[in-house]
Parts: sequence; C-alpha cells; structure tokens
Amino acid sequence: MLMSSHASKTAWWLPEIPKSALMRRRMLWAYVFVSAPIFALLVFLLGPILFSGWVSLHRWDMLSPVSDMPWRGLSNYSYLLTKDPVFLKSLGNTFLFAIGGVGANTVLGLGFALLLNSRIRGRTIWRVLYFMPVITAPLALAVMFSFIFNRNYGVVNNVITAFGLPRQPFLSGPSQALMTLVFIAIYQYVGYYIVIFLAGLQGIPQDYYDAAQVDGAGKWQEFRFITLPLLRPVMLFVVVTNTIGALQVFDLVFATTGGAPANSSMTVVLHMYNTAFKFSRMGRASAMAFILFAIIMLITIAQVRLLRDRTYQD
Amino acid sequence: MKFKTRHFSLLLFVLLLILSSSVTIAQDTTLTMLTHWGTEDQLAAQQTIIDAYMAENPDVAIELVTVDFGELRTKIITGRTAGISADVYHFYHLWLPDFVNAGVLAEPPQDSLSYIDENVAQGTIDAVSTPDGQTWGYPTEVNPYLLVYNKRLLAEAGYEAPPANWEELKEIAAAITQVDDTGAISQVGVGVMPGWDSGIVHPFSALLFSNGGNYLSEDRTVAEFNSAEGVETLQLYADLVASGGTDPSINGLGDFPSGTVGMVIMAPWWRATLRAAEGIDFDTEVGVAEIPVGPSGDAPSSIAYTWLFAVDSNSPNKPAAWDFIHWMNAEHEAGAGSAIGDFLVNALGAIPSFDHDQAAFAESMSDHYVSAFVAASAYARPEQIVAGGQEIKTLLQVEIEAVLAGMTTPEDALASVEMQANAILEEQRMMAEE
Repeated sequence: MLMSSHASKTAWWLPEIPKSALMRRRMLWAYVFVSAPIFALLVFLLGPILFSGWVSLHRWDMLSPVSDMPWRGLSNYSYLLTKDPVFLKSLGNTFLFAIGGVGANTVLGLGFALLLNSRIRGRTIWRVLYFMPVITAPLALAVMFSFIFNRNYGVVNNVITAFGLPRQPFLSGPSQALMTLVFIAIYQYVGYYIVIFLAGLQGIPQDYYDAAQVDGAGKWQEFRFITLPLLRPVMLFVVVTNTIGALQVFDLVFATTGGAPANSSMTVVLHMYNTAFKFSRMGRASAMAFILFAIIMLITIAQVRLLRDRTYQD
Repeated sequence: MKFKTRHFSLLLFVLLLILSSSVTIAQDTTLTMLTHWGTEDQLAAQQTIIDAYMAENPDVAIELVTVDFGELRTKIITGRTAGISADVYHFYHLWLPDFVNAGVLAEPPQDSLSYIDENVAQGTIDAVSTPDGQTWGYPTEVNPYLLVYNKRLLAEAGYEAPPANWEELKEIAAAITQVDDTGAISQVGVGVMPGWDSGIVHPFSALLFSNGGNYLSEDRTVAEFNSAEGVETLQLYADLVASGGTDPSINGLGDFPSGTVGMVIMAPWWRATLRAAEGIDFDTEVGVAEIPVGPSGDAPSSIAYTWLFAVDSNSPNKPAAWDFIHWMNAEHEAGAGSAIGDFLVNALGAIPSFDHDQAAFAESMSDHYVSAFVAASAYARPEQIVAGGQEIKTLLQVEIEAVLAGMTTPEDALASVEMQANAILEEQRMMAEE
C-alpha cells in the first residue's frame, strides 16, 4: 500500500517503479537476487527440456554437431509406440514396479508409522532401524541383495530350502526378477514413508480421539473416521512422490540386473539410458523421456484430483 | 602504508603470473589419454610408459583417464558433447564406424599409416579401417576366443581331453555339473556370462563360425546369423541348459577363476586374472583348446576383436597426440619391442598387433595359455564392424539370454534379431546416403 502510493503508473506487465530512491534501490537488488535462480532455472532446467524436446524430433548420435541433426518429425515417437518391443515391455515393467512399490510402501509405511506412533518399547531404535536403508547408498544395497538373493548360495534360498521348498532364481529368473526388485525398493524406501506418515500422525490433535472415545468409538472407527481422513494430504504426498520416483527407477535396476534376464526387468529409464549412450540414439531416448513425462503428468493429475477432492470433501 | 601494501600485492600477483606462465612454458602441450585399463597394476604400468615419454619430451604433459569398459563409450560420447573430450582414445574397434561417421576421429598422418602398413598384418589393419580403406589408428590387442577349461574338473568327471565337437561338449558339461539335494549348483560344466554383451555374443560367434555359419554378409549389409547353422548354435545353448550342462545363474567370468566352472569360451587377456585366481592353479589346471566343431562345421574357427589408439578430431594437439601414440607403439631399439607391446603381453596377456612386438615378446607369449591364442589368431575371423554394430550385438545378447532363460526358442530368437539388425543396417545405409 505504502509502495503503491509512492509508485508511478507503468504498463500492466511491468512492475510499478517506486518514486523513493531508497525503495528503487531495494527493488533493484530484489530483482538482482531473484534473477539468479531464474537464470539458473532457465539454463539448467527449461533450456535442457526444450532442447531435448527438439532433439526428440531428430536423429542425433550425440557425436555429430547439433546443426547436422537430420529431421525425423514424430517418427521417434511412432517407432517407440508401435515398433519397439523393448520400450513397450519396459513400460509394462515400470508400471508393475510402480504399482507394487507404491502400494506396498503406502500400506507398510502407514502400518509401521501407526506402530511406531504408539507407546512401544524402544520406539526410537525402531525408527532408526527402519530409516537406515534410506540413507544407505543404493548401489551398496544392490550388491548386498544380489548376494542375498543368489540362486545357489543366497541366504534367502538357504532358508527356503531348509523348509523343504524349492530353490528360487529370484534376480536371475525372468518371472521373478522384477518382483524381487520391487521387494528391494520397498526395503529401501519404506523407512522414508514411515517418517512422513509419522509426521502426519503427530499432527492430528489428540482432542479428536478423546471426543471419539467419549462417543464410544473403537480403534478401527478412530482409524477409519479420524486418522485416515486427516492423513489424506500426507497420503497424497506419499502416493504422488512415490509414484514419480518409481516410474523413474534406474539405479537399482542398473546395479542389480541391468534389465536382464532378456529385458524381463528392463525399465523405461534404463532403456532410455541404453538407447542414448549405448546405441547413440539421443533422439529416440528424448522421445522416451517425453512419453514418460506425459504419463507421469497424467497419473499425477489423476492422483491429485482423486485424493485432493476427497480431502476437501471430508 | 596503504600504498605500499597495494604495490606489494600487485608485485606478488605479477610474480605469480610469471611463475605460472613459466610452468606453462615448461610443458606447453597437455594431452589427455582415455583408456579402460583401470586396475592398480594396469594404471601403474601405463603411468610408467607416460613418465618415460614425458622424460623424453619435457614440453608435453600427459594426463591419464581411465573408466570401466562398460562406461567407455558413454565417456567418449558425453566428453565430446560437453566439449571436454580426450586427445587420445583407446577404444573397441566395433565402435569405429559410428565414430568415423560422426567425425569423431582425426586421420592419422602419412608416416603413421606407413609404419602401420609395414609392421602389422593386413587382417588386423582391416579391423581398424573403414571399407574405403582408410586406417584410423594404431591397432593394439588382438583377442581371439578359445575354449578355456579346468583340467581338474574334467579329470574328476572322467575326461582327460577337452571336447572336440558339440556332442562331446554337451556330454562333458553334463558330467561336470553338480547339483545338491536342495537344487543348489555347486559346479557347472559350461559357464556363460549373462549381462555382458561381449561375454555372450563373442562365444556365440566363435561357436557359430565353428559350425560353418556367418555373422553378417561379406559386404556387411545383411545379418546372416539367422541360418540353419545359427539355429543349431543357439540350440546348443538350449540343450546345455536342458541337460544341466550350463545355468545362467552361474557366471563363467566370475566363477571359473573360483574353480567351480568346467569350461568357458574366453579371450587371452584373461591370463592376469587366472594367474591371480585362488580357485584354480594357472600352471597346472588351466587348459586351452580350440572351439569345438559343430555338426555343420568342418574345422575349428573363432572370432577375434581388436582395439586401437586414435586421436580426437577436436584435439588442439593432434601432431603431439599422434607422436605420443607412435612413440608408445614403435620399437625404439631393435628386438626390444614397444612400450605398449610390453604392457599388452606382460600386464594383460593379450596378443599385440605389431610384428616387432610379437617377435620381441614371443617368449612371454609362449606359455601354455597365450601360445594357444597366438595360434588361433592365425585363423580366427575378425569381428565384422559396421555402423550400429553395438546395437545389433546387444539385441543378439538379449535374445541369447532369452533362450538361456527358456523364454523363447532359438528359431524365434534369431528371427527377431535378424529383423531388427537388418532394419538397423538399412537405416545406417540410408543415413550414409543422406
């Protein structure tokens, strides 16, 4: 208000320039400071996005000059969607990975958070233990689980066979590799979602539970009608961030199976990496990135609408 | 006082400037060399060569950069894209057509080409040349593939001699394999190397050639592995899996040195690993034999691949880079061999390309292991290089692994790769015409 009273009238799209020299100087510095992150965003985020969009319409091997890229129009996109069996397979695998990972992380994250939010013995130690895999290097986890799930000398198979069950191939089996990766991803990330749910649970006022108990509500009714509705914003965050992360999975697959056996655990981002750097097809890899981006955006919009609307309704 | 401080600072700055420029004058050319030889011993051996060159050429500084083989192509590509490419590359010859088409490489000077012509066998020169006859660098290691076997495991299974044909291969493999009551495989007859394209496709090619088949047509325009001979070769893999003679959960690369794999098809550069292995005695237990002959073949054959030193076309120091490469590969004293020849033979166990190195290090290559590969290099067929060759190789690797995993039949696998490979070859042809 003070500023507008001292400001001169300018075009609607320009900022109003204060008449006071001090205010003008402050405004100038404000723009200087704001321009730095905006410049960084333009150069390091928007620029590369636009460039890869442009590359996706060309054939580029990353070795030839950009000016020599032959124009391919939408052929990279049509090839991926109609002729590339590995892309379609990796897309299916990525969806399965995301569905399994997000579902399990959400249910287990909430379940463990409820347990850790109660008055159990050694609560702090349990919280630390669950969170440790989150801060462990993904590559170290990948190597560790490659040994644990080894078909011939892995500890999991030793336990299974001790109970008289047949030995399983896990990471080396085409029908089990992907689900084994889902398990490892759950182990790796559930601790993070436990912490998020815990923060949400601790933000629910105790008064609601006290009032419900006065009204004679049981534990299930408290969970169904108080905890769950009030956790929906947290749930939205968990589901959306977990889905985005799962659809972009790379390091775990790269370090454990590399997409093997026979692409049975190939994911979109790993296929994108191979296409770009192993086969020098940056145009096709960029097209994959944009298809994945569109899928992630649509899924995120659907998730936000589904969970957000209900939150407001409740 | 303030005035003096300012002048003193200025004087210090000028002195520093002079000092730094004098350092620059001392070594006014800096070359970066990118290789994939990254173990501690290999790094030390390469540094010795570099130090020797720098002692002779004090105006040149050389920085060595190494990455794992799996990341080498990516490093070259991203380095060029980022404008920080190395001056000297040592790379796998399969990538040569892609690099040449993209203008990555500088043409060698005429005296280098003459030296290569005079001192390297024509087949090896062809392996580092494009179809137009242009040679692009100094060839280094030549790696044919042979059957490497564990004499102790064969003897324990009742066999004194390695297999000469596929029937014997299957029989011996099944006899070596041991599975306990719980289904755990403690040792396997034939070790495959899933997850590594060369580890899968090169042994397949060696068997295919020993069965009378071809990889690509002679003019390299069409894939020819989807033939009766190719299907028979892939059927061998399926048969080995069915009989228990091999299992993809056992990796030949890691498990042969631990003494739990009977046979693998491998290259000579493995000698250093096998010498250091604790599960198998290199001198008494490691045997090398020719590739077993398939039902449609009439003699053992094999595949051989090559690497080369070349210079980046963006290098601002091309003459210095070629001079350094030549110095490493040339014989400076009659009968002494080259610095790289010494490294290849004694640090890796690989076969050098240059005649003078093969002569100078003949004794080092005369052990029971490398000598067999030297003999095989005379008849092994060079890997056919073509633009898009890496992609075709990876596609074939995936389909061979699918057969090993029981996910597809040999016929379907080869038909699928053939279709994709021919599409890639056609696309590359059209690109070249554009």
